[in-house]
Amino acid sequence: MKRPKKSKSASHSPWVRLAALRPRFSAFMLDWASWGFIAYGVMYLLNKYWYIRHVNFYGRLTLPGWGWPVVIIATFELALLSHAFSQSIGLSLFGLRLFGPEYAPVPFRRRLARFVALHVGLVLQPLALFGDRPLGSLVHDSDKTGRMLLVAKVKDDLPAEKPRKWYTTYRGLFLAGLLALTFWLGWKITTINLQMLVERIGKSGHIWKDLFTPRFTYLTEPVIPGRTFSLVHYMLETIFMAFFATVTGAIVAFPLSFLGARNIMGFNAFGWLIYSVMRTLFNALRSIESILMAVLFAVWVGFGNPFAGALALFLHTIAALAKLYSEQVEAVDPGPLEAIATTGARRWQVVAYGVIPQIIPSYLAFTLYRWDINIRMATIIALVGGGGIGTLLFYFKNEVGRLDDAWNQVGAVVVAIVVVVWALDYISARVREKIG
Amino acid sequence: MEELIRIDRLTKVYERGEVLAVNDISFTVKRGEFLVLIGLSGSGKSTLLRCINRLIEPTAGQIVFDGIDVTKASARQLRQLRRRMAMIFQQFNLVKRSSVLTNVLSGRLGYVNPGASAIHKFPKEDLESAFANLERVGIPEQAYKRADELSGGQQQRVGIARALMQRPDLLMADEPVSALDPATAHSVMQYLEQMNQEDGVTVIASLHFLSLARRYGTRILALKDGEIVFEGLPAEIDAAKFKEIYGEEAEEVEVR
Ligand SMILES: Nc1ncnc2c1ncn2[C@@H]1O[C@H](COP(=O)(O)OP(=O)(O)OP(=O)(O)O)[C@@H](O)[C@H]1O
Ligand SMILES: [Mg+2]
Repeated sequence: MKRPKKSKSASHSPWVRLAALRPRFSAFMLDWASWGFIAYGVMYLLNKYWYIRHVNFYGRLTLPGWGWPVVIIATFELALLSHAFSQSIGLSLFGLRLFGPEYAPVPFRRRLARFVALHVGLVLQPLALFGDRPLGSLVHDSDKTGRMLLVAKVKDDLPAEKPRKWYTTYRGLFLAGLLALTFWLGWKITTINLQMLVERIGKSGHIWKDLFTPRFTYLTEPVIPGRTFSLVHYMLETIFMAFFATVTGAIVAFPLSFLGARNIMGFNAFGWLIYSVMRTLFNALRSIESILMAVLFAVWVGFGNPFAGALALFLHTIAALAKLYSEQVEAVDPGPLEAIATTGARRWQVVAYGVIPQIIPSYLAFTLYRWDINIRMATIIALVGGGGIGTLLFYFKNEVGRLDDAWNQVGAVVVAIVVVVWALDYISARVREKIG
Repeated sequence: MEELIRIDRLTKVYERGEVLAVNDISFTVKRGEFLVLIGLSGSGKSTLLRCINRLIEPTAGQIVFDGIDVTKASARQLRQLRRRMAMIFQQFNLVKRSSVLTNVLSGRLGYVNPGASAIHKFPKEDLESAFANLERVGIPEQAYKRADELSGGQQQRVGIARALMQRPDLLMADEPVSALDPATAHSVMQYLEQMNQEDGVTVIASLHFLSLARRYGTRILALKDGEIVFEGLPAEIDAAKFKEIYGEEAEEVEVR
């Protein structure tokens, strides 16, 4: 297909140029960070295998004051080196590559020169934001002998090249090394110890036995006569807590989801503002786990009060559902919306007649899915005073040693939780099947 | 004949990709005309049509509809203008999960009491005319089906019924039959012709097949790279003109 005349792409505003620089910047920071991670890993392993074994068992190897700048500069240089050789994982992740003229490979000497030039170039980079010079000319990213380009943009012009095996490329090896290091560190840091797992199995035997012979003494009887309630009571509390949080959360999230959808709000600057505020709010609220919110509400409305748990779940549900919902709104077919707008309908009528019918099924599915999550969360939210069945679980757990059948009671609570969660999961899965 | 639309030096540049899609176009459309837009893919037909009801904002130029400047209309005025310009689409653009009847009734949204429309309540006259229009496009028995249960041809007829509900002065059709087989295409085109001749609705349609353009158009406007390369009667397009519009290698395909 032929393109009509292109309008001239003369000088861009600094903002446009800044945006174009972003992938390069992000790629560099990623490389720097990965080298920093390697430095940390080396330090940790040195401690583990050399310092505390051979030097000072109770001590810890730490960097001297001058060590920090050395590490920072060294990792910076390494990142710069991989950047200059256009081999870094950052560059390949952001799809950038250095090309010579006619997409030829850039020779080694030229890359080395680039590494040296980058030291000055990075400092001068801000100047590249102004004027008509091609971006990156100051860091030798763009001149006669080579250019840093987005691979996706020039895909069609590239000469065919044989794909290389991962273990023959720098970045494949680097990534493999990074993965191995991460695994090694993770193993050590989380103190994974398979030996302990085997040794200790016998010692916890009687607890297992008790757990698997649950005693439903307090199924309907109050646990402490006249004071605390029965298992069934707490279970109902849990279910209604989750139910209340899901339903009210969904009702609040429904209108908010339109405010957080780009295709509905992106018609003017004011709309964009609301959209951005909403999205930030959803993300911020969502990132606070409901169990953390429950800590706050338990202090506010009283420890052990199911209202605290319900409030925490409610807030988290709003944020989580509003985000999921608004993504659905953004994914609707825009055609019908245009068609309804051309009849002279108002903006909200377009939403009511064009958007809502399209999103209803996925809204229901997401709400049910949220209900599953809320039930699970409601069973343990008592850990921080949020009320519900967990109250009993932690009560009996604390009575171990004082009460002979404490573990049997814990077993009963666990069985009750498993049965209820499983049953409700099954129902919601069946309902979702029906909707889908 | 009185003039319905005057387009004056209309230009549209898409910011993304910096494409000059419509380049300084001027023409007028008289009331009662059946104007057909032709041109290669990417020549700017859709862009031109969608500028007229401002589904996309023109970059420069003026569009005057029945004496009112569309480009300067406020949001409210634009809604009132859009009630008078219906549009049908290549992909039909029905709300698939809604019933056919709801889709047809949504053509009245610009007119009805907004509060009542919020609870899907339409006046009795509108309901009656919805059934009358479904009858007119030959699918009265489909009213309560979901829109996506219909065939492509039936869906486009629903689109036409929705447009009829607006009682428009102008009907814009962007490749209304490109997704349909030749026989169905003709029957859909005949509904447009009927609207044009019996209801006096002015029609602007973009079409891919020159044979359809010749058969239904009273006047033809050909676009190439966003500019008008031909304007005149269907009969005036000869082999030379055809090559000019579609390029040297093109050959005419008949649709019967
Ligand atoms: N949203 C958009 N953003 C950027 N460029 C666009 C956009 N829509 C269309 N274009 C470009 O504008 C030009 C005209 O497109 P338009 O859709 O108006 O052509 P058309 O004649 O309707 O083509 P077709 O017959 O394929 O529908 C094309 O080059 C197209 O790539
Ligand atoms: Mg088109």
